[in-house]
Amino acid sequence: MRTLAPRSRIAVAALTLVVVFVSSILAAPTTRNGVVLGLALDGALASLSVLSSRDLRKRRPTLARALGSVVVVDVALGATFFFSANTNYNLAIGAAMAIVLLGLSFLTGISGQISLGNSAFMGVGALAVAIWANHHASTPLVVTLLIAVACGAVAGLLLGLPAARLRGPYLAGMTLAFAVAFTAIVNSFTSWTGGDAGLQLPNAVTAPRWMATLFDSQSSPLALNSAWLADVTIVAAGVSFFLMANLIHSRAGRAMRLLRDNDVAAEIVGVSLARSRVLAFVVSSAYAALGGGLWTLINNSVSPPAYSFALSITILSLVVIGGIGTVSGALLGGVIYAYSASVISWITTQTGLNPQGNLASQLNGIIFGALLVLVMLFAPLGIVGLIRRLHRRLASKLPG
Amino acid sequence: MDAFLTSRIMSDVLGGLTNGMIYGLVALSLVLIWRSAGILNFAAGAMPMVATYVGMVIFVSTLGYWPSVVIAIITGLTIGALTERVVVRRLYGKPPINPVVVMVGILIVLEGVAAAIWSTVPRGIPNPFSPIDWQLAGKPIALSSFSLYEIVTALVVMSAVAALFRFTKLGLQLRASALAPEVSRLLGVRVGRMLTLGWALSTGVGTITTVLVASNFFTGLTPQVMDGIFAFGFIAAAVGGLESPVGAIVSGVALGIVLQFVGDYINSNAIILVALVILVVSLMVRPNGIFTRNSARRV
Repeated sequence: MRTLAPRSRIAVAALTLVVVFVSSILAAPTTRNGVVLGLALDGALASLSVLSSRDLRKRRPTLARALGSVVVVDVALGATFFFSANTNYNLAIGAAMAIVLLGLSFLTGISGQISLGNSAFMGVGALAVAIWANHHASTPLVVTLLIAVACGAVAGLLLGLPAARLRGPYLAGMTLAFAVAFTAIVNSFTSWTGGDAGLQLPNAVTAPRWMATLFDSQSSPLALNSAWLADVTIVAAGVSFFLMANLIHSRAGRAMRLLRDNDVAAEIVGVSLARSRVLAFVVSSAYAALGGGLWTLINNSVSPPAYSFALSITILSLVVIGGIGTVSGALLGGVIYAYSASVISWITTQTGLNPQGNLASQLNGIIFGALLVLVMLFAPLGIVGLIRRLHRRLASKLPG
Repeated sequence: MDAFLTSRIMSDVLGGLTNGMIYGLVALSLVLIWRSAGILNFAAGAMPMVATYVGMVIFVSTLGYWPSVVIAIITGLTIGALTERVVVRRLYGKPPINPVVVMVGILIVLEGVAAAIWSTVPRGIPNPFSPIDWQLAGKPIALSSFSLYEIVTALVVMSAVAALFRFTKLGLQLRASALAPEVSRLLGVRVGRMLTLGWALSTGVGTITTVLVASNFFTGLTPQVMDGIFAFGFIAAAVGGLESPVGAIVSGVALGIVLQFVGDYINSNAIILVALVILVVSLMVRPNGIFTRNSARRV
């Protein structure tokens, strides 16, 4: 291992202090939890120290990205042991949403296409998990989720083939029509999908045995449930983010960015426009389906009306607010989504609005819509763009 | 003859014609903006919806139907012009995704604000036309004085727009600035003003459409009244080609009739599905629409 840069050393030291402090005030509920937690944090620390050598990021970017994902996932996993059931639920919902956001962010920011139909692709994944679980209840979790991803990818391929020939607004309109048609599609196959009422999972999703043994059996079932579901979602998000970061920097990702910026040049150097566009569309749909499938697991049921056009708008808003085409922007969007409901209810109580009134019920849409317009007009790269701008300004002011 | 007029096929054709006229008008309002600004206006249903609320909810009880319609149209023209001046003007020359995102944002804000002010409960708009189908030898034909009012108004609006573009100097300037903005500017056309006018005109057409839709006894006015109709209007415009006003209207009417048959002979869920299939197939066969000449594209 190389020697650490001064700043990284400070960071590692600070993190160690925080860990020691947190562990000392929160007595571990059981020894086993303590062991797991300790292992997770040790892994995080070790990875962080290796990662902070700048050399590594240049020479072995994939390894650096993998270690980065491990650190974030480890810290998040460790945190779920302490969080309340409610917080874990929010965390899980937000992490699943972050996967969806990453898919759209990639499609829009890297490939230069736009989709207003990602809610419907989420719905495809959500229904796939529910339908599969109702027919084959004993399938391992990972397999069920992969089936949802495959269904999303196939749906994305079907819609993506014509999409490859379409420019921005045509594509947006077509995906909008798909989002609007989704409810009708669900209602046309009621025997499979349960129509508007949706589907319940046959029995509560249970943690795999090896995982259950890691958890404290004394806890209430709900806390137990939400903690391990949050963990599964976080790991899924970590894997998705790692794969996406690699894809963006791979040959295919570079080709897409070239295509977005200059399609003629891209074609001349031999990039296939159609294949590149369809690939981006399929990846984005698969990510949306994974997010939707995870939502079904978390909620233990699926309600198709939730996957309406309005959800597509929310997804688009979050991507734009976080920062189109950035990995951290998608993560940020997921966090914002997890807490948007509580922030809006806080605003309602602070301003003394009638919670059942017209304005309070529309506040969510109005705020997201207004942010969408303002961010797009004045800060097209969203929060991440603002932070980068600030960072650059600070860097230029400091000597050296 | 009577038996033919009251037959199931004929009533589907007539009912579809009435819907198709509405889709054609929405498609026309999309084409008007697309041709002048190269932007697909996702708020093309929401902006007229607000204008319709202003005219038909605030004024209809005191002024009566027709003066309120005039107020709604004037409000619509103003909203269109203001949107172009304040928001859209900043978007010219940006990547094509930016206007899409911004117009979707405006759509959501307008629908939210309208629901916050007027609630989501449908409002009936009292109007002089009866929605009850006429009878012929004791059987109903799918026409009422209201649907005739819709069809005639649509035809009048379409011919007025056509006449404006074909026979007036203003129409020539509008066409010129859409086709070649730089040359038009050199020749003394105020291109900026033409763009504003294009947006006003489009929202005006949209407002007349929304008034027609909302005056329907069976629909009423809600903040989301135009959502579904916008989707069908877009499909019509895309199938016909976003460049072609004639194509937009023709494919709007055709779509209306086809979908009426689908709804009657299959079921109501199939309507949007078939519309989606029509859109996907037609875009795969002719990505630039049926009624536009194929222009050379770079790749």
